[in-house]
Amino acid sequence: MASELLKGFRMLDLADEKAALCGKIFADMGADVIKVEPPRGCSTRTIAPFLEDLPGPDRSLYAIAYHAGKKSVTANLESAAGREIVAALAAKSDFIVESYDPGFLDSIGLGYDTLAKNNPRLIYTSVMPFGDTGPARNYKWADIITWAAGGAMYMMGEEGKPPLQMSLPQAGLHAGGEASVASMLAHHARQRDGIGQRIVVNMQACIVWTLMNEQAMPILHGDHIQRTGVYTGSKDTRRKMVYRCKDGHISTLIAGGSLGGASTKALVTWMNEKGFAAPWMIEKDWTTWVPGMFMALTERDRFEISDLEDRIQKFFLTMTKKEIYDGTLKRRILLAPVATVADIAADLQLAAREYFVEVEHDTLGRRMTMPGAFAKLSRTPIGAPRRSPKIGEHNHEIYGGLLGLSDARIDELKASDAI
Amino acid sequence: MSEFALSGVKILDFAWVGVGPITTKYFADNGADVIRVESAARPDVLRLAPPWKDARPGINSSQFFASYNTSKKGITLDLGKPKARELVKKLVPWADIVVESFTPKAMRNWGLDFPKLCELRPDLIMLSTCMQGQTGPNALYPGFGQLMAALSGFYYISGYDEQSPCPPYGAYSDFIAPRFSASVLMAALDYRRRTGVGQYIDMSQYEASLHNLAPALIDYFATGRILGPRGNRSDRYAPHGAYPCADEDGHERWIAIAVADDAQWEAMAKVLSANDIDRRFDSHAKRIASAKALDEFINPLTHAHNAYELTHKLQAAGVAAYPVQNCVDIHQDENLDAFDFWHWLEHKEMGPSVYEGLQHRMSRTPGALRAAAPILGQHNDEIFSGMLGLGAQEIEALKKENVIM
Repeated sequence: MASELLKGFRMLDLADEKAALCGKIFADMGADVIKVEPPRGCSTRTIAPFLEDLPGPDRSLYAIAYHAGKKSVTANLESAAGREIVAALAAKSDFIVESYDPGFLDSIGLGYDTLAKNNPRLIYTSVMPFGDTGPARNYKWADIITWAAGGAMYMMGEEGKPPLQMSLPQAGLHAGGEASVASMLAHHARQRDGIGQRIVVNMQACIVWTLMNEQAMPILHGDHIQRTGVYTGSKDTRRKMVYRCKDGHISTLIAGGSLGGASTKALVTWMNEKGFAAPWMIEKDWTTWVPGMFMALTERDRFEISDLEDRIQKFFLTMTKKEIYDGTLKRRILLAPVATVADIAADLQLAAREYFVEVEHDTLGRRMTMPGAFAKLSRTPIGAPRRSPKIGEHNHEIYGGLLGLSDARIDELKASDAI
Repeated sequence: MSEFALSGVKILDFAWVGVGPITTKYFADNGADVIRVESAARPDVLRLAPPWKDARPGINSSQFFASYNTSKKGITLDLGKPKARELVKKLVPWADIVVESFTPKAMRNWGLDFPKLCELRPDLIMLSTCMQGQTGPNALYPGFGQLMAALSGFYYISGYDEQSPCPPYGAYSDFIAPRFSASVLMAALDYRRRTGVGQYIDMSQYEASLHNLAPALIDYFATGRILGPRGNRSDRYAPHGAYPCADEDGHERWIAIAVADDAQWEAMAKVLSANDIDRRFDSHAKRIASAKALDEFINPLTHAHNAYELTHKLQAAGVAAYPVQNCVDIHQDENLDAFDFWHWLEHKEMGPSVYEGLQHRMSRTPGALRAAAPILGQHNDEIFSGMLGLGAQEIEALKKENVIM
């Protein structure tokens, strides 16, 4: 069941993979989200991988995930009747989110200025790779382009080898989340005075934002992060973030002081029980041990960091991810397994909170298990979403019910390839 | 005059580190009054982390803290002391929203949990955001964002192969969760405006972040397939990845390229003067299937080019490409400039320094970085005297007792 939070508000979703998450968040929050697709379906339906690797418009795992809870209508923007019907929907909507090439919807009479004339309340959010004013605004796009332009790619990988993207592209998801925030901000302004507005979300900026302030490092420290595989920090002071264990990898970052002192002490104590700690580690006051990650290190600092990293590595190789994680939870050590989707699916914490939900997919003849509510709300809980819609599944409901078109008129529009 | 989207909204913000402060930054930059309650005894760890102004550590000179706390006011209280909690309780009726990001037992132990605060403000909205949520066996997990990025699966899908993981930089999940928490807080505020009813929001950063991994999770549940690291290989594009360009000033340069179909492939081949193209590469499907060999074919062809010039040529031919930019490059990027992304703010102790601006632009009620982040306790007098009406002597006494600190 959808939340009651935004019940009664309607969003037209004309976004592809650059912002599909926006409508998903709105649907989770209870808005009526109508995906407007070309008659042959939105491009997101062709995103591999597919369920059981069998292509089909209802089988893209991307579409199953990010169109859940939405309705679908079809409209052919190349036909005048198709454009008219979208304009009629916009007149009855509170929000539009779109990610067409900058200027495209304006050029076919579906831009903000035109639609706002009939519906001044409209909030119209456009997601663009480089904003609406940048010289690259009309560039060809793929997710990796934004990952590269925004600075995230440069920092992932090993020196001398190519910079990396994640196996599941992320830029469109950040932009979709940002479109959701921005649309809600405009909603508040509108609740005050009844007037909507136009929003441009800049995807490149959304990725710069994920750099955790590394952007300021060259200016303030005259230094910037290199690609150093499993290490973090600047070149001379790098610290290991990932260690091998029996069945995979573990992430931890050794630190002292008020942030990490207690944790490192607990780890050293555990290592000592198993004979892996060096004598100096047991004597050390970790609460005052703070060799800075971006500061000059002494010879002694370097020795301590490297000895600790070596011994932690040997210690972790004697155990599995689960054994290490379970042990550190008890000892309150700052550490996490490098979890696979299988580890996450088996996680007891998520199970205890009943995070994953089952969604009946009659289109696929099976139930699908999906991530559930992104937050638990005491008054207006977010329940399991409806399954992702088939192409144009709600044409009759929306065009008949909301726009009041007769069945005959809808059939006519279908016959003329307008919907 | 209300010129910002959230003018008039009031937030009492106990959050620290990443997700909580980034969430309330959206509010503060859009006109809400956000008061951050900090402790000098146990300062926000970001105040102790680089980058620092001129690379010199100082409680008031961390750009890391400054960036996520623009437009807010700051007071300092030692919440371990009953008198400090009494002052908090006087501020609660003022607040529309309370945000906190401690491990779950902290607010409860201080008597500042949701039921208690509702006695002071019945229609309160409260967001608690910690690593793994308020309930469940791992509710007290003491992690931070970098570990959460590993726990929520992002490290595992980053790398050349199983043997060489290459995690994303920093606390990656800290930049996912706030887009969810800010959205839902604003929706809760709107719901209250319509119904008069507040509520409690328990957001596990783990659970919110997993939405950026949803297709892979659904695939695993349905078929048992585990998405792993695979370099830059794609199911949709080939070539797809980063290709070497000519070094500049002794620094390596790479270009990102993604080719979606035959027409783009032919356009790219022309720009790169690729001759003698192997039969293995004569269809899009074949190119996807032999991505590794394809990369080896492309690498020497891009190598002599300047990354920016090659980008222009490829894009002019209709091929998706852009230089792989580092953090020096993004400050010179024409597109971010055209969006007016970078801002210089004057900070009380750090002086001028550069901040990331907003990631979107609103036509009618644009947000703004209204002020630099507060130094520790910067607004103590304004809040305790101006808002709560305490006298100078009273404030002095509370400072002596380390209640205000």
